[in-house]
Amino acid sequence: MGHEPEIFNDFQLDALREIGNIGAGNAATALSQMVGRRVDMSVTQVKVLQTDGIAAFLGGMEQNVAAVHMPVYGEICGVSLVFFPLERVGELCGMLIGKKEEDPANLSEMGQSAIKEVGSILTGSYLSALFRLMNLQLIHGVPGLAIDMAQAVLDTVLVELEQKEEVAIVIETKFLENDKQLTGSFFLLPESGSLKKLFAAFSKTFGFSGNG
Amino acid sequence: MGIAEIAISQSPQRLVAYGLGSCVGVTLYDGKNKTGGLAHVMLPTSRLHSTEAPPGKYADTAMSAMLAEMLKAGSSLRGLQAKIIGGANMFASLTQNSVPIGLRNVSAIRQVLGEMGIPIVGEDVGGTHGRTMIFDLEDGRVEVRKLNLPPEYL
Repeated sequence: MGHEPEIFNDFQLDALREIGNIGAGNAATALSQMVGRRVDMSVTQVKVLQTDGIAAFLGGMEQNVAAVHMPVYGEICGVSLVFFPLERVGELCGMLIGKKEEDPANLSEMGQSAIKEVGSILTGSYLSALFRLMNLQLIHGVPGLAIDMAQAVLDTVLVELEQKEEVAIVIETKFLENDKQLTGSFFLLPESGSLKKLFAAFSKTFGFSGNG
Repeated sequence: MGIAEIAISQSPQRLVAYGLGSCVGVTLYDGKNKTGGLAHVMLPTSRLHSTEAPPGKYADTAMSAMLAEMLKAGSSLRGLQAKIIGGANMFASLTQNSVPIGLRNVSAIRQVLGEMGIPIVGEDVGGTHGRTMIFDLEDGRVEVRKLNLPPEYL
């Protein structure tokens, strides 16, 4: 379980990491403006995973998470997800709205909006860094928030994509504010038709073709 | 058990599906032979879709395939009982103008089981939270786990 498909070669993964860094920089600027303090972000990992490996990456199928979901439309269609480990969501709210939430499983309205907002910022920043470079047009839909088991979120998204398995591009991001450090993971799950298009555009932009 | 899979087994085994979201877990149980089946269904109907997909993906094909395997394993149609778990609607943002897919899965399964004449003796469906289910083939009992809640038994 959880094998890593060899779709990108090392050179392409480096390019993806570079795109991630650009996205993280933009997201940090947007987030710092939102909270009125400086928040730094950096990319800690870039990976391509098969969906059956995503839950393990997040800590297990029954790992409790907060997940921000956004549909992606345009030349590439699919779903983006941003996951935060639930046990850190209270602190994340503290960082975002200046008030730590005591019960992350029952967030206040304001806490929920803040998590959706940070999910949107990350998604928007990574998607535009990715697609501006490749010259692809796309928009994303309204963010939705689920607080649940990691596998239940993935299960729901696979139903939405009508696929029992998908390939996901993963960018893991570290948030830093003073001495506080939190992690969020961004996933892009393109529909099966869009995946080919995405790799073609990627190979065209970065010269080398992948193995897949 | 993975998405779109069907498994048949016997006591003392247990069949487990982790993190059902809008998917639905359907159990068939034959108490006489302590034999049971579990299907992890994704979508309501195989019509409009390609035939390459595994039967477990769709409610209609999953139910016929699971029933066929139960009969092959020596169960009789009359002795079978079903339970349905799952079909949540986790992202309200996805279904503002339509019937959520989870509920459509549940009604498709109810309909097929009704046509087969298999009684539904327990269900925990819908809602906004995912579920893990553990099906004990010793007595047919199903444990359902949800986020931050004590387990329930069907």
